Amino acid sequence: MIEIRDISKHFGSVRAVQHVSFTAPNGKITGLLGPNGAGKSTTLRIISTVLRADAGTVMVDGTDVASAADAVRLKLGVLPHASGLYPRLTARENIRYFGALNGLPRAQLERRIDDLIGMLQMQEFADRPAKGFSQGQRIKVALARALVHEPNNIVLDEPTNGLDVMATRALRDIIRKLRDQGRCVLFSSHVMQEVAALCDDIIIIAHGRIVARGSPDALRAQTGEQDLEEAFVKAVGESPEVVS
Amino acid sequence: MIRTFVTVMLKEIVDNLRDRRTLLTVLVFGPLFGPVFYTAMMNTVINKRVADLDQPLQLPVAGTQFAPDLIHYLRAHNTVIQAAPPDPRDAVRTGRKNVVLVIGKRYADAVRAGKPAPVELVMDRSRDAAAKDVDRARDLLQEYSRAIANLRLLARGVDPRVVTPVVIEDADVSTPRSRAALILGMVPYFFLFAAILGAFYLAIDTTAGERERGSLEPLLGTAAPRAMLVAGKISAVAVFSVVSLALDVLAMYWCQGLIPAAKLNIAAGFTPWSSILSFLVMIPFCAFIAALLCVVASFTKSYKEAQTWLSFIMIVPLVPVLATVFNPTEPRLWMMLVPSLSQDLLITALIKGEALSGAFVSVSVLSTLAGGAILMWLAVRLYGREKILG
Repeated sequence: MIEIRDISKHFGSVRAVQHVSFTAPNGKITGLLGPNGAGKSTTLRIISTVLRADAGTVMVDGTDVASAADAVRLKLGVLPHASGLYPRLTARENIRYFGALNGLPRAQLERRIDDLIGMLQMQEFADRPAKGFSQGQRIKVALARALVHEPNNIVLDEPTNGLDVMATRALRDIIRKLRDQGRCVLFSSHVMQEVAALCDDIIIIAHGRIVARGSPDALRAQTGEQDLEEAFVKAVGESPEVVS
Repeated sequence: MIRTFVTVMLKEIVDNLRDRRTLLTVLVFGPLFGPVFYTAMMNTVINKRVADLDQPLQLPVAGTQFAPDLIHYLRAHNTVIQAAPPDPRDAVRTGRKNVVLVIGKRYADAVRAGKPAPVELVMDRSRDAAAKDVDRARDLLQEYSRAIANLRLLARGVDPRVVTPVVIEDADVSTPRSRAALILGMVPYFFLFAAILGAFYLAIDTTAGERERGSLEPLLGTAAPRAMLVAGKISAVAVFSVVSLALDVLAMYWCQGLIPAAKLNIAAGFTPWSSILSFLVMIPFCAFIAALLCVVASFTKSYKEAQTWLSFIMIVPLVPVLATVFNPTEPRLWMMLVPSLSQDLLITALIKGEALSGAFVSVSVLSTLAGGAILMWLAVRLYGREKILG
């Protein structure tokens, strides 16, 4: 479970995130939806400990991100926006490196890698260098790398960017599978359909603030729009008034 | 902790062993550039400077008929008299002849009158290649002049020694090995160069490259302590630097056999033992340069930018070394505090066959390692900042 309480973050004069609070519970997929530059990535980066919030707290499974970053990192599996692989290492070696850095014992690590290769259907390219991978293959490896230490909380920053239809569907299945295992999944997107198809809870963020939240149905009701896309546009456009 | 360090170091080593450009630099270009360049250069210089006295001097002479005695003398002293070109000045200017001796009618007249007889030696001082022949011709003419003078003095009953009040005797106290040092003076420079080049691409790949690939953020999101990440990376860079250096020392040891040192009457500068010692005193520098290059590359945003900066930074350690080339000084203790300069001076001493001072070596090793440690600490601080993600 990821609990965010009133976090703010600025870069110079740019207030990237202002007073954002929400909870991403276990066993659910929480979607962070917003236009480009809304503060989604900054929020996720604060959760994943690579940025520090100016104010507010973030708790991951009850552990404070600011005071126990190392412990939090072990509870988190993160697929950042920039998720490059080592091109000269094979998929398996890429995953193994991160497993070792997260302290997995060798035998357990090898078993875990085999499991992930099976689950993400990577058998075909697992032992090829990452250099020539397609975007879909790359995302799979990056995801396996994030999941190798079996984190309870999974944070995905625009994971479907650049994926074709089939790869997107495959990724959605994986995300649902993780949810069904009882994990907390938090992911961001700027694509309405993406979020609508997948999420149990949606948080709409614009200009660094939360402008609407709820299940897809609740959002339709809240904005008085039947079409979710209209609901999104309305919520984002009216951001100053709809602060919740 | 230690496992993280080893994991990072091994990963960076394995990863970069698969990069052809890095391998080429570390295994071939870095180690061989110095020795090959050096051997080629030394061979050229030696062959130019050392007159091969067995070979007769080829001397074009104009006006042989005016000085039959001189020509006879020259022939008797290992000189082949050639016909002079029609325009001696032009022939020398264009480099077709190294030197031309021009004898005019004035010479014959002056000799008959017992006055100083002028001969003209046409030469081009700006041509190094001609210097050997010019010097030989001039020496022969002076010897001839002295011989004639002695005969004239004797004919007047004067002891020729009267006109030789001072005799200069060359007493060269340089040992063959210290003469070798003069020749081998560039070797420490090449060692430093190999160590730097060995570290170069790896330092970029593990820092700026990591950021450019987008693998830095996931890496910093792992539970690995930052200090261990940084230490592992810098150590991998240092390992490549040491490998490049080791190959360079081996290549240099082997190459000095290819230099015709005997022609300069010098003994070779490196014994196996002094090669090993040179390698050992250089190792702290490898750690230092690895940390320095990593810190600088960490400030840059891309591979390209890092390359630009490091190309500049890699000259910095060579500055004190060049300073000693142009302004040779005796090593002093404070100089051992300066990384690159201290290694340069220690290796120079080893080439000369001098015993190394224990104090000098300790100060050099400790100060260079301390410099590396400070830079590593700086790198750890750098990777603790949010801005590292750019």
